[in-house]
Amino acid sequence: MTKLFNYRSPPKRAELLGMLADYGEDARVLAGGTDLLVDVRNGFANPKLVVNIKNVAGFSEISVSQLEGLIIRPTVTINDVLQHATIRDSYPLLVACARDLASHQIRNRATVVGNVVNASPCSDMAPALLCLGADAVISSETGQRVVPLKDFFKGVKQTVLRPEEILEEIIVPPAMAAASGAYRKLKRIEGHDLGIVGVAAMRKDGVLNLGISSCAPTPLLVEGLSAADPVEAAVAAAHDAIHPISDLRCSREYREHMVEVFVRRVLQEVA
Amino acid sequence: MKISVTVNAHVYERDIAEHWTLLRFLRESVGLTGTKEGCAAGECGACTVFLNGKVVNSCLVLAAEADGGSVETIEGEAHAGELSTIQAAFARNHAVQGGFCTGGMILSVRDLLSRNPKPSVAEIKAGIEGNFCRCTGYQQIIEAVLDASGQLTPETKGELKYV
Repeated sequence: MTKLFNYRSPPKRAELLGMLADYGEDARVLAGGTDLLVDVRNGFANPKLVVNIKNVAGFSEISVSQLEGLIIRPTVTINDVLQHATIRDSYPLLVACARDLASHQIRNRATVVGNVVNASPCSDMAPALLCLGADAVISSETGQRVVPLKDFFKGVKQTVLRPEEILEEIIVPPAMAAASGAYRKLKRIEGHDLGIVGVAAMRKDGVLNLGISSCAPTPLLVEGLSAADPVEAAVAAAHDAIHPISDLRCSREYREHMVEVFVRRVLQEVA
Repeated sequence: MKISVTVNAHVYERDIAEHWTLLRFLRESVGLTGTKEGCAAGECGACTVFLNGKVVNSCLVLAAEADGGSVETIEGEAHAGELSTIQAAFARNHAVQGGFCTGGMILSVRDLLSRNPKPSVAEIKAGIEGNFCRCTGYQQIIEAVLDASGQLTPETKGELKYV
C-alpha cells in the first residue's frame, strides 16, 4: 500500500532521540497531531518519518515541587492541564489560556509543548508561559540545553529547535506558584476560534508581566513592569512591543486598539 | 501496516497505510460512514468519535495511533434498534435536518452529559463548541440536550430563546 511517510512509536526516549538524529529534517514529531496532520494534509509538511511520542515513558507527566517548580512534559494535553488539581489551584493564568484554546475535542489531543513548538503568532499557551518566566529544556542525543522561553521563538512557525532536538520540558519556576493572572482573547465568535488578539497578564509580588499574541511574528513578552505604576505605563509598554500586521482576520489599527483595551481589562483583573 | 482496533465492541484487524487518519480507516476500511469529513482540520467536529474514552476529531488522529485501542462511533449509539436517550431527544426536538453534523454532535453531547448530567444552556453551548451545525439550528439542538438531560419543560421549550 502506498504511504506518504513511515510511522514509528518508540516506547523509549533514547530510541526517539536516535531516530531524530538519524532522520534530521526528514522526521517530524507527532504529539497531539492537531497542527502536524493539518500541515501534512495541506502539503506544508512532507516528512519521511512521523514519530509518535505518546508512548515514550514519562512524557505524559506533570510534576510540581517547591524546589523545581511546575514541569510540563511533551505529551501533556491541554485538558490534562485543565484537570490537574495543583495547576487549577496555583496557576490561574495557565488555566485561563488553556480554557480558551480551541474545542474540547482538540483540547483532548493538543499538547502544551506542541502549542509552543508550533510557534504560531496566535498561540494560546505562549502568552501565559512567557508571563510566567518559563524555561524550555531542549534535548537531543548529544545532550540538553536550557533556553528561556522568551528566547525560544524566532519567527512565524520558527524556533531555536534544531531538527534533531525536542522540547522535552517546560519549567515554570517555583516563585510563580499562586501568581495572579488573566487572559483576554479576541475571537469572531464566543466558542472555538483562533485568536485575533490575545493579552495575558501575570502579577506576583508587585511585578507585572504581559504576554501578547497575534501582534508580531512571534508571541511577545513585556516584562518587569511594576504593579505600582499607572495603567498608562503598561499600555505604552505594550504599544512599544507590538508590531501587528493587517490580514484577513483584522486590520493593524484594530489590533493596536484591542491590545490597549485588553491590557486595561487584564490589569483590572489581576489588581 | 497492520492494526487492530476495537470499534463499537467489534475487533477489526486491517492493513492500512501509515498516513491514513482514523477517520479514513473508519469510513474506507471498516465501512462505517456515519463519521463524516467536514473541514479535515479540526474545526467542524463532524468526524468526532470516542478514542479510548475521550472525544477526538478523527481527522486529526492517525489510524496507527488507534492500534490496540478502542473507538466508539455514532453507529454504536443505538442498541438493538432502539435509539439512545440523546438520539431520541434529537428526533423529538427536530434537532436533525441535514444530518451531516448530527453524528459528531450526538457524541459530543454524550461526552458532555457524562461529565455534567444537568448542563446549563451556557454549558451546553460550551460543550458543543467544537461541533458546527450549518442548517438545523443550534436552538433545536440545545433544546434536545435540555430534553435529554430532563430539563425541558413546556415553559422552556421553543421561542428561539436559547440562540
